[in-house]
Amino acid sequence: MLSIKNLQAKVEDKQILKGINLEIKPGEVHAIMGPNGAGKSTLGYVLSGREGYEVNGGAVTLDGKDLLDLETEERAREGLFLAFQYPVEIPGVSNMEFMKAAVDAQRLSRGEEAISSPDFLKMAKAACAQVNLPLSFLKRGVNEGFSGGEKKRNEIMQMLLLQPKICVLDETDSGLDIDALKVVADGVNSQRSEDRAFIVVTHYQRLLDFIKPDYVHVLADGKIARSGDASLALELEEQGYAWLAERKEEQAQLEAKESS
Amino acid sequence: MSAWLESAIDRAESIQDWLSPRRQQSLQLLRERQWPSRKVEDWKYTSVKAIEAATGQLQEVEIPSELPTSIAGLECIDVSLQNPSAINDLPHGVTISPINDSCEAWASELFGSIKPVRHIFGLVNDVLATEGVVIDIAPGAVIEQPIRLIRALSQQQEHHARVLVRIGEGAKATIIEQFSGDALSLHTTVAEYALDARAELVHYRFGLQRARAIALAGSHFRLGTGANLQSTIVGLGSDLSRVNVDVDHRGEHANAKLNVIYLLQGSELFDLHSTIEHAVPNCTTEENVRGIVADKSRAVFNGRIHIHRDAQKTLAELNNRNLLLSNTAEVDTKPELEIYADDVRCAHGATVAELDKKALYYMQSRGVSVQQAKIMLNFGFINELVEQMPHGELAEWLQPQLRELFVDMVSDELNK
Repeated sequence: MLSIKNLQAKVEDKQILKGINLEIKPGEVHAIMGPNGAGKSTLGYVLSGREGYEVNGGAVTLDGKDLLDLETEERAREGLFLAFQYPVEIPGVSNMEFMKAAVDAQRLSRGEEAISSPDFLKMAKAACAQVNLPLSFLKRGVNEGFSGGEKKRNEIMQMLLLQPKICVLDETDSGLDIDALKVVADGVNSQRSEDRAFIVVTHYQRLLDFIKPDYVHVLADGKIARSGDASLALELEEQGYAWLAERKEEQAQLEAKESS
Repeated sequence: MSAWLESAIDRAESIQDWLSPRRQQSLQLLRERQWPSRKVEDWKYTSVKAIEAATGQLQEVEIPSELPTSIAGLECIDVSLQNPSAINDLPHGVTISPINDSCEAWASELFGSIKPVRHIFGLVNDVLATEGVVIDIAPGAVIEQPIRLIRALSQQQEHHARVLVRIGEGAKATIIEQFSGDALSLHTTVAEYALDARAELVHYRFGLQRARAIALAGSHFRLGTGANLQSTIVGLGSDLSRVNVDVDHRGEHANAKLNVIYLLQGSELFDLHSTIEHAVPNCTTEENVRGIVADKSRAVFNGRIHIHRDAQKTLAELNNRNLLLSNTAEVDTKPELEIYADDVRCAHGATVAELDKKALYYMQSRGVSVQQAKIMLNFGFINELVEQMPHGELAEWLQPQLRELFVDMVSDELNK
């Protein structure tokens, strides 16, 4: 499904991603963990094509299609969904209007007709109920004045409506209390299926108690430093990320020895 | 002095009617008045070259023009400002008469008593406007049906119209001023509204003329004790569109709420000068001015709130927010608060911003195209004010027109 090969990207003049390799198959959940500044959020932005994030090496394909060649909106219509760490407030544009435009854009790109307003309303109401957002949130400006937890739930609501193939959840657990975390995790789990995959980017193991990953990767200094199964997350929880620095030091010493 | 103004004064000298005694003083002032130039603060950012360029091409003739269509769901009392005829079958409590038929003493007194003499084109209107209407709403009358004053100008037409409105004590009315036409033309329209004690006026001014139409206009309000004014002004700009708005709080506990929207593209200009006078205590003003400027268009806003020494307990807010869609568009904004009382609550501010790039990216990341995202953001920026219009039917009538305009604005910008 999603194939990331030797992906390198920079922001301004700083190289952030230094060669990422990931193969994600339908139905899988991959967790990406790592210390601050490792490039976790950058990965999500690069995949979605955010301006200012320049790919300078590697390839990404979604179901065989070159993802990096597409505009941000085209990637979304192809089935990529990024749940933002900091969802953007858009005063004046209602959640309802925004999501209908998004759903319609996706449908039109598939050659389908725009959804009728009553049908959309039905879908939107169901999605709201699933993430525990009052219906009044549909009428409010996108994320406008929402609490941190409401914003995250609104991201999941959008995911439910768009039914993407591959979802990248960028620190969706940050700033959530345990109840909100459960709502978000339930929303995600309800969407796990044979033909959909998830990349769950998180700093803490806590979220992975609720969303069980098939694979865990540690991202450090722009590369995957280690990969393993769910037990790796528990290990990280105990040990923290300090070992990464040690390992880096060892490596540097090794390299220094070799060169001398 | 400009050739156009000279000809205006010449024409004015031959006008003889019941308002002549009122026109004389303005004529004298006009003879002494300096023609606007960038050197004068009032015209610092707005050039009147378009008038000079049109001089000789304009005529004060009666050309039947197509009137705008009706507004779905909102049955109005339609009144043409060009050659209006007497209107019968009006709801009880309303009198509307063509200005050249009226000789009411109150109307003569009202004429020029609310509009300040500093507006040069207001003076021009004083001396030349022989058309227009006088509207009298009887005390206590509640008129549900909006009165719509319409003018659509045709090619090369010059026209001056005056509107004099009295809203009696405790009466309620809705008045819409609606202008259209794109062809080279010039009009001055001055509307003076006197709201007696506890009168309520819902006012709309849709300056939908575009392109070559030169519009020099003013809506001026005097509020009696406990009177309520809610005004919505929409301007699309043209070679030269200037609106003067004056609100004079004359009685205590009066409230004024003004929402202004301007949407400009091409090389259009829209200039709003508003002055709110708080001479008495316990009144409120809330003025929200919001605009979107694209291409090489230009918005000029000068908003002044003047709180006199006795106007204690005044609540006044003035806000101007602008969205710039191109780096060749320009906004000159100057909100001014002048406060001489010491127990008031006032705020003012102005912002000029570009479309929020983060919001655009966010919307794109959900599959919405850049173009549509821009249209939605533009719409979102002003829709709050559209939705505040007390008549939902008018919002529904306006919204598709605005959307169409945004499609234009955004696609022009993308095609560059």
